[in-house]
Parts: sequence; structure tokens; C-alpha cells
Amino acid sequence: MTDPGSLEEKLAILAEGAKYDISCASSGSSRRNRHGIGNAASCGICHSWTADGRCVSLLKILLTNACIYDCAYCINRRSNDTRRVILTPAEVAELTIGFYRRNFIEGLFLSTGVVRNPDYTMELLIEAIRTLRETYRFNGYIHVKVVPGADLLLVERAGRYADRVSVNMELPTREGLALLAPDKSREAIVTPMRRVGALIVQTKAERKVSRTVPPFAPAGQSTQLIVGASGENDLQIVRLSAGLYDRLAMKRVYYSAFVPVNRDNRLPAPVDTPPLLREHRLYQADWLLRYYGFAPDEILDDDRPFLDLTLDPKADWALRHLELFPVEVNRAPYEILLRVPGIGVRSAERIVRARRGGHLALDSLAKLGVVMKRARYFITARGQFAADLSPDAAGLRSRLAERPTRDRWNQPSLFDDHGRGDWRSTITGEL
Amino acid sequence: MDYLYDGTFSGFLTVVATARRAGTSPMAICRVAPDQQALFSPLVRVTTEPELAAQQGDELAAILSPAGRRLIHAAFLSAAPGVELRLWHYLELARRVGPAIGSMLTHEQVQPVWELARAVGREAHRFKGFVRFRQLAGGYHYAAIAPDYRILPLIAPHFAARFADQQWLIHDERRSEAVVYDPVPQQWLIVPLEVRAPLCDTADEQLFRSLWQCYFDRLAIAERHNPRLQQQHVPRKHRRHLPEFDKR
Repeated sequence: MTDPGSLEEKLAILAEGAKYDISCASSGSSRRNRHGIGNAASCGICHSWTADGRCVSLLKILLTNACIYDCAYCINRRSNDTRRVILTPAEVAELTIGFYRRNFIEGLFLSTGVVRNPDYTMELLIEAIRTLRETYRFNGYIHVKVVPGADLLLVERAGRYADRVSVNMELPTREGLALLAPDKSREAIVTPMRRVGALIVQTKAERKVSRTVPPFAPAGQSTQLIVGASGENDLQIVRLSAGLYDRLAMKRVYYSAFVPVNRDNRLPAPVDTPPLLREHRLYQADWLLRYYGFAPDEILDDDRPFLDLTLDPKADWALRHLELFPVEVNRAPYEILLRVPGIGVRSAERIVRARRGGHLALDSLAKLGVVMKRARYFITARGQFAADLSPDAAGLRSRLAERPTRDRWNQPSLFDDHGRGDWRSTITGEL
Repeated sequence: MDYLYDGTFSGFLTVVATARRAGTSPMAICRVAPDQQALFSPLVRVTTEPELAAQQGDELAAILSPAGRRLIHAAFLSAAPGVELRLWHYLELARRVGPAIGSMLTHEQVQPVWELARAVGREAHRFKGFVRFRQLAGGYHYAAIAPDYRILPLIAPHFAARFADQQWLIHDERRSEAVVYDPVPQQWLIVPLEVRAPLCDTADEQLFRSLWQCYFDRLAIAERHNPRLQQQHVPRKHRRHLPEFDKR
């Protein structure tokens, strides 16, 4: 079934098969080096950038591109006529260590197609990361995929070795999944997610009492949603994400604009460009959920279930709540500063810190990282207002609107979690 | 008064101690002899005195927070023109206002120091990713870099913790110095270094190099090709040290 191939050929094919996965984050873990090689930096470290400008921090690879499933959107689906190869767990470990010792990478991101059955596949993944941790004494970052439908004991073993585990949600709705990935069930995806969430919470609590309790996925769990392959709206997606963050201790939800890689009449007709701008707005909305204290219903509601493509969701929210603005930067609480367009988490923190040392004037705000182009309509400093338009002026919306040029929404710095290396891509390759 | 010193951090602390003892604010603090001496300002050559420097360091530690000390050190490593004088004024201000200096981000004597330190810190962080080791036949892992700032003291602890079990050295080619790490005493040291003879790799070095190049080439998604964005993150000046950018 699989073709032997040289290590270099297999690496090429299996890297190709994994490149569409969104996550390249290596942040959130601070594993120390104990009598071996490697550690994990909690801020994450990017090691290179590809020709499309995406950060490379992990050796992101499939164990195999062979798969028993036939998901409509997936490049590795059973019915595609492509060359199938598989790496042995020993080869995965050897490649990872060889790359790591040369400081090419920050760690391993191991994903896979499903061979034979979910349990068998999961055991191969575990063997690869067990070899790294136990034989090579590797303390660097490991992200491993959970195969939906695998035994929960295997899921637990994987999380003991890994820094982050993820189960890909793939499609935001049950109906979408039934149509496009008929071999997978919502239960097979959500059950391991729940188990992982529970183990993360439980282990964290136990480790507070005793440091000898082995960590479980210290960098948390993540998942990925394909956007635009089925008919869901943004409100459904934002609510789903908020639920995942609140109830399943999810660390990140990645959104991936659907790009057709297969011909299939269940999929939307091919378009010139994938819905990248929609993907971008979803990341911005996700940021509002995780870092800015927004509830999903503040971002969208049943009357307006889609994000405005011309305006970022925070500016959009501010324009709907003009009664709150302008706010005085020398007095406003941190939580309110976070709600001002043009003020991010870091600039809000700096404002709070800097104003302890003296009253802030308008011209000092830019030095603190405030984007005055947007913020000036919504703030005063020492009572002074910097803009020529008041927040309720009719022309403000168009002035804040962004021109949707390709460069503008393809900038990774918009998502870059303060250099933490989180980044996204377009379509999903597997699982 | 103009001061001249050897360019080391200890030397700078010696200058600070000397100037404080003299009771006057320096007009200039220079690393090399200035082309033109200020007309009325005498030049003082300061010899680094490790003990005096350590004493001055302790004194500053009592005034500054740990973050404040890191800030001073990072800004100093920028070796930007005039940075010593800026640091002098920063430290004088810190002596007057105490820990409150940590929140005076927009103060005219604080902000430039803060920005220099941030630039150095950014580059140091970036080079945690940009260092590429090759295994030399002698047993060392060798990496060459050419950063804009003198970041070796800032990145050395990171690599010492990460590659605790391998002999390695990182060579700053622009400054002809290197940090050398040995796993047996688990210590790193910064030493002057110039490489004159060609380096000899281990047998499988070329294999891993070409595996990495092959992996890197496969990662890019053609539909998203964006060389400008790539260049923003990986400036050309650093590429000759990164095997994935080797012309092949």
C-alpha cells in the first residue's frame, strides 16, 4: 500500500501533505531541559519564513499520507490517486533531533492520515514522541494530532508526552461534517476533545499541589475549522469558538479559508480566491474573545450574523456604541482602554504603566504603540480630542474602513501574537 | 569632561563611578578617541577596574528593578552613538526618582533608552531562531552570525540551557568574537575569534542540510507567494548564514 522511498522523498511528500495545517505555534509551554537536549520557550520562537511569508517554527510533518477516510476537502483522501509513503516512528525521531541540534526548528508538529484504524495510527504517533522523550531525552516542543475515534487511554498517553494536542473540528456544523466527511462523526471528534480538556484542567490543579505530577499537554489543546466549505455563518463560528474556549479549555481555534484541492460536487464551486478576508476577520473576532474580554453576542447577533468585511470587528463594535466614547486615557480602566480601536493589549498595558508616572498627553500616545489613525476618534488625553471628526459623525465609518488590498490582509503581523509565531494558512491537509 | 573607555560594560560602569566621584556630568563618553576634542572639555582615559565596576553595579542594583537592569544592559549592547551618555542621564534620573522610573515611558530621558533596549531585545529574540549550527568533525557545533547589535551575551544563556549536552560556539563575524560553550563545566565564555582555515563538517552534515532545504522548499504555498513579507522577516543581510536560503 505504501511505497518505500528514500528519506528525502518521504520528507518531501509528507511535508507537502502537512503544510496546509494552520498551526505553527510553539508557544505556551516552558518545558525545562533536564539532563538531555532542548527546552521550550514559552514565547515561542520562529526559525525561518517561507516564500509565502509564513513562519516556520516546527518540523510540521505527516507520519503518513495514506488514509482510510475519504473526506471531500482533503488532499490525502482515499480516492485521490497519489503516492503514499510512511515514516517509521524511529525516522520521525531521528529527523527531529537532527534538525533540532542544528537549531533549524523549535520542535515537532506531528500529524497523520489514518492507517488501518484510529488506534493503530495513534499508537504509531505515540511511539514516535515516546522515542523522542525517553530515548533521546528531548525536552523541546511537541504538538501531536489526536486521531478522532482513538481510544481515550491512547489520547491520554499522547498528552503526557506532548506539549500541545489537537483534534481538528474541520467543519463548524454537524450537517457539514456529515456531508463532507461522512467517515467521521461529531462524537468521534468532540469526545477526545472533552477528555483532553478535562485532563488539562485536572492536571493543572494537581500540579499546583504536587510538582511531581507529570504534566499533561502544558501548552493546551487547539483545533481547526474550515471556513466556507459549508454554509455556516460567522455568528455560528464565533459562538462555537467561544464555547470551545469556555467549556473545553481550548487554547487556540484556527480558521482556515476553504481552498478546493479536489473536484467534488458536494463542495462549493471553485472561486478565484479563497475567502481569506473572511478568515482574517474571524481571527480578529477570535482575538476579541480571547484577549479583549468580548462576548460573542457583542461581536455579532442574529440580525447581523456576518462580520463586516470592510471594517475590523472592534471598530465596528465601537461605532455601534458611540455613547461610550470618547474615553479619557488618563482615567479609563484597563478593560475600557482595550475596547478602543487602535489600542491593543500591549499599548493598553503601557498606558496604564506610563500614566502612573505622570499625565499622558496626546502626542505621547503614539510612542506607546497606540495606532492614532484609528484611536484619535475615540479618546481624549488631558481632555484634548485629536480628531477633526467626532465619533458620531456620519463619515467616520468610511474613514475607518480598510481598503481590502491583498497585501493588507495577508500581513502576518496582524495576527502575530506579539512575535509568538502563531500563524495560519489556507486549507487543511488531513484529519 | 569627556571620558574614553574600552567599550566593555565593566568599563562603562567604571566611567560612571569615576564621573560620580568627580561630581560633574560628563560631556561625552566615547569608545574610541574622538577626532576632535571639545575645546574646553578635558579628556579622561578610564581604565576598567573590575572591582569598582562591580561596586557600581551593586549600587545600581539597589536603585533599579531587575527589569531596569536588563534594560540598561540591553541598551548598552546596542553600541549606538552616544548611548553611554544617554545611559548616564537615565541613571542620574533613576537615582533621583527611584523605581518610579519604570513607569516614565514617555519621559525624554527614558524613552530613547527604552527604545534602544527594545531594538536590541528584538534582535536577540530573532537570533534565537536564526542561529544555524553545523557539526564540525572536531565535535563542536559551529554557527556564524552577523547581527546589528552585540547580542551574544543576551542569547548565550538560551543556547546554554537548550543545548546543554553539546559543545557549541556561536561566532559573531562582525565583531570577531564568539561565545563558546562546554558541557562539562556547563559554562559559556565570550572570546575573541577569527576563523582562518576552512571548517570541516561531519559525514552526515550535508545530508541534514539538504533534508532541511528540501523540507523548507516544500512548505511554501504557491498561491500565497509573498517575497516582500518574507524579506520583512528574514532580511537579506542575514540570509547567507541560513542554509535554507543557499542558492542551489
